[in-house]
Amino acid sequence: MIRLNNVVASYKTERGVVNAVDGVSLEIPDGCIVGIAGESGCGKSTLMKVIYGDIGFPLALASGSVDYGFSDDSGKPVTSRNIQKEWFKRISYVPQSSMSSLNPVIRIRKQFLDFQDQTGNKAQILEQVKSYVKKLGLPEESIDSYPHQLSGGMRQRIMIAMATFFQPEIILADEPTTALDVVVQKSILLLLMDLQEQMGNTIILVSHDMGVHYQVTDKMLIMYAAKAVEYGDSEEIFQRPLHPYTRLLINSLPTIGDDRAREGIPGRPPSLWNKLQGCRFADRCPLATDRCRNEEPEFVEYRPGHFAACHYADSEANLSEVS
Amino acid sequence: MKIMKLRPQMSGTGTPEEAPVAKRVKSKGSPLNFRLKLGIVILAIFVLGSFILPFFCPKDPAEQASYLKNLPVTDKHWLGTNSLGQDTFWFLVFAIRNSLQLGILVALFVTVIQTLLGLSAGFIGGWYERIVMVIIDSFITIPLLPILIILGALVRGNTTFLTVGAIIVVFGWAWGARTIRSMALSLREREFVNMARFSGASTFDVLLREIFPYVSSYMVVGFINTILFAINTEATLAVIGLSKVETPTLGSIIFWALNYNALFTGQLLWLIAPIVSSVLLFLGLFLASTGFNERFATRRGVA
Repeated sequence: MIRLNNVVASYKTERGVVNAVDGVSLEIPDGCIVGIAGESGCGKSTLMKVIYGDIGFPLALASGSVDYGFSDDSGKPVTSRNIQKEWFKRISYVPQSSMSSLNPVIRIRKQFLDFQDQTGNKAQILEQVKSYVKKLGLPEESIDSYPHQLSGGMRQRIMIAMATFFQPEIILADEPTTALDVVVQKSILLLLMDLQEQMGNTIILVSHDMGVHYQVTDKMLIMYAAKAVEYGDSEEIFQRPLHPYTRLLINSLPTIGDDRAREGIPGRPPSLWNKLQGCRFADRCPLATDRCRNEEPEFVEYRPGHFAACHYADSEANLSEVS
Repeated sequence: MKIMKLRPQMSGTGTPEEAPVAKRVKSKGSPLNFRLKLGIVILAIFVLGSFILPFFCPKDPAEQASYLKNLPVTDKHWLGTNSLGQDTFWFLVFAIRNSLQLGILVALFVTVIQTLLGLSAGFIGGWYERIVMVIIDSFITIPLLPILIILGALVRGNTTFLTVGAIIVVFGWAWGARTIRSMALSLREREFVNMARFSGASTFDVLLREIFPYVSSYMVVGFINTILFAINTEATLAVIGLSKVETPTLGSIIFWALNYNALFTGQLLWLIAPIVSSVLLFLGLFLASTGFNERFATRRGVA
């Protein structure tokens, strides 16, 4: 179980400090795929950085903590302060752009073995790497190539192979399928799901493609302007969303055969530089009232395991909007 | 919502529908290209010739009046003798050796200095970088030749060959350092450096395993270019008599030949031999440098 306790992450800039993640609390049970959705600049990637423990200037963890639910070798519980020692062993990261995530001048084989301590038997490990790569649907010889000799999908598979080789408990995937065509996207997502099923680890997947979330994730977190606005089982969120923002996001998904123009959500997210008051979505929300503009909604569990931050999450007006 | 949900298929892991590794390169690496081959052949002839032949030299070629003056080409004196009573061929062999030695020594120092300063400035940043950059930029803006002429005039006569090399090092490292620093700046932000860090590599590991292989090929090219630069600069100084002209170098031959009006006395070989050797040597270095660059580009997947 990964537990985020009121995480506030801020960037120091010349203009001052801006909170890119502003008080996110949630619990991620072991062995599930969690999706994080939201539009650009809502704090998805910053939250990923915090969870991965890559906190360094200009990013700082202003308050709150992350507990990973396991202990390190000396028996101390692992938090975001000491997770760095577990990188690629118990927590690993599948990057967004596999194109540039491999060193172009070094063969894959060597890059793979770089992750290995020098104590092990090289030949033996190489055999393991080969069979693992084969299991992931790549030809064995591909590890003898340079990155540019492989296709985008193959490179992303290599990255996934590297990230999962040590069977980490937690895998963070930051938009692992951007810049890939849909066929390859599907196979990459299936690969991640398969691995998750076999190893039983937790995958946290960032994507702004709601379709991907619907198909892949077990649970979902919707973020808006540095805040968590909704969190719950994916099925539940897609069937009966609580937050108007989630509903608008889902309604903007196209369906085959429906050729009406899709409406986006009018307006833009508020600038995090401004002094923000009340619900941050109020300006764009069709249901907003004066209460929304003045009083900040709490992130509350409205149904078992289904959280939302909206004053009218349960009200008739909100539910009747579902269509 | 009528979308079929994806379900993991336990049988196979994903569907490997992608093309097989089509253009896999043999582990030997791509073949040497023509430029590199030719460059290496020329350099090998020069290096082997100038470092092995001196063992068979009958007499110190720098010693004056060893032979009769101004002898024509014979089977004893392959390029004749000059107006100082020295054998032109042996003098040339020693000159090439000395010039190469100087070039390689200077290039070694310059490469080490510029790599250390350039990489550290790019990676550490902050105040350290600013200070280093001020120094680098000052050295770049100093006009090289006038300074060398002044320095040469100052130390003239009691200079050693090594002093000349040291002076060239001092004024030759800055450009390369600037190049490597800008490379480090760009590499620092690359995703693969980030990934290396994310997989638990320390800064030193990142430098050694990720950055160095990337920079090393540029360093080889830079190294060869610096040899060229050093030989060239020393020759320039020697021609105007500001180097250690008693030591045989490609420049000092030309200095003596000009001094004794070889052009007018008809001793063309005295003048042509060092010029042709220099041009050939530069050609070899140039071909090796560009050829290596090209080969490295192939490895990166650019060409």
